Amino acid sequence: MKPREELIAALVDDLAPVKPVVNINGRALLWFSLSALYVVAVIHAMGPIRPGAFDQLTHNGRFLLENLLGLAAVLTISIAVFRASVPGLGSRSLMVAGGGLMLLWIAMYPLGFISPTLEPSMLGKREFCYIETLVYALPPIIAGGVMLRRLYPLNRVSVAWWLCLAAGMLPALYMQLACMYEPSHILRLHILPGLIAGLIGAAVVWAWRRRQGQTPK
Amino acid sequence: MSAIGSTQYSEDEKRWAQLMVSSQAGDDAEYGCLLQEISVVIDRYLRGRFGHHDFVEDCVQDTLMAVHQARHTYDPCRAFRPWLFAIVRHKAIDALRAQRRRDVLIDSSATEQLNELEGEASEDHEQQISSGRLINSLDQPYREAIMLTKLIGLSTAEAANQLRISEGTLKVRVHRGIGRLKKMIEAEPV
Repeated sequence: MKPREELIAALVDDLAPVKPVVNINGRALLWFSLSALYVVAVIHAMGPIRPGAFDQLTHNGRFLLENLLGLAAVLTISIAVFRASVPGLGSRSLMVAGGGLMLLWIAMYPLGFISPTLEPSMLGKREFCYIETLVYALPPIIAGGVMLRRLYPLNRVSVAWWLCLAAGMLPALYMQLACMYEPSHILRLHILPGLIAGLIGAAVVWAWRRRQGQTPK
Repeated sequence: MSAIGSTQYSEDEKRWAQLMVSSQAGDDAEYGCLLQEISVVIDRYLRGRFGHHDFVEDCVQDTLMAVHQARHTYDPCRAFRPWLFAIVRHKAIDALRAQRRRDVLIDSSATEQLNELEGEASEDHEQQISSGRLINSLDQPYREAIMLTKLIGLSTAEAANQLRISEGTLKVRVHRGIGRLKKMIEAEPV
């Protein structure tokens, strides 16, 4: 018997019924919703929210737009990353759209150096907001990792980067309400830890695949 | 695509989708049939693009294993081909990236004889590889770099020496060449 035929025979022997994965967008929305709820709950539980933050959200259109942009970016990336974990379902344009929205959202803060959305202030400052952002991202990363491992991501490093970035940016986004508003503080201590979460996730998966002797992709 | 070809294409699509649905339910006879059929298709697809080379057989087998591991991700409401060929393309590029220099332990007394044999083998390889449409469509610098390092199996130093370029330049050409192959293979309709 040729090796290929032997392999096919072995795979047939190993066959067990499986439940097909359907509604991948639904899974993405489930992960996003639960992660967002968890982030909001844990941030409220661990410290007070900036006084007047919700009033600013309802009365300042640009502040609302800023936050909606961040939310749309994370949501789009969440859907794109789940779709990328099923062969043939990944969409480069969706990923580009998610990345573009995220860049647009982040770009609002350097713009704030010239024309700030809100009056910069120390009001509501959380002492360890950068650590909070990183730590609160961990449970969504683990939950997402477990959900995606059950699928079949082809480009694991890329999927890890986007998943961890989305998970890291959720607490980073809510820190705009929970912590002080000042563009440089936001960029250094909210956004940067979110980006670092993405980089760490990608690096861990890259190293893990390299250790396994597989091409780190 | 001709009318007959188009009919065959859609018949294959329907049959494979049906076979995969049965496989997901645990029907091993249908699964065996599906794997046999797609292994031939994958083999033909890869040889048409990369030429007749040993790594193609490895790639076919890797793909079959991937299909086995990923079979739960096939959604019966979707077409089968895009799902299958996403795996095939990924495995092909992955296999090409992972190609390493073949380690040959040689007895010093047989060096000359081996060099002659390797020379002949390289020519054979080049002829076989040149039938690969995708490889052939690469620009010459990238084609040469990939053929020498990934398909013939020379080390970076040997290939750089043969092409009279630095090792760094060769690595860049290989990297870019694989990137171009990836783009080309992803742009092809299934």
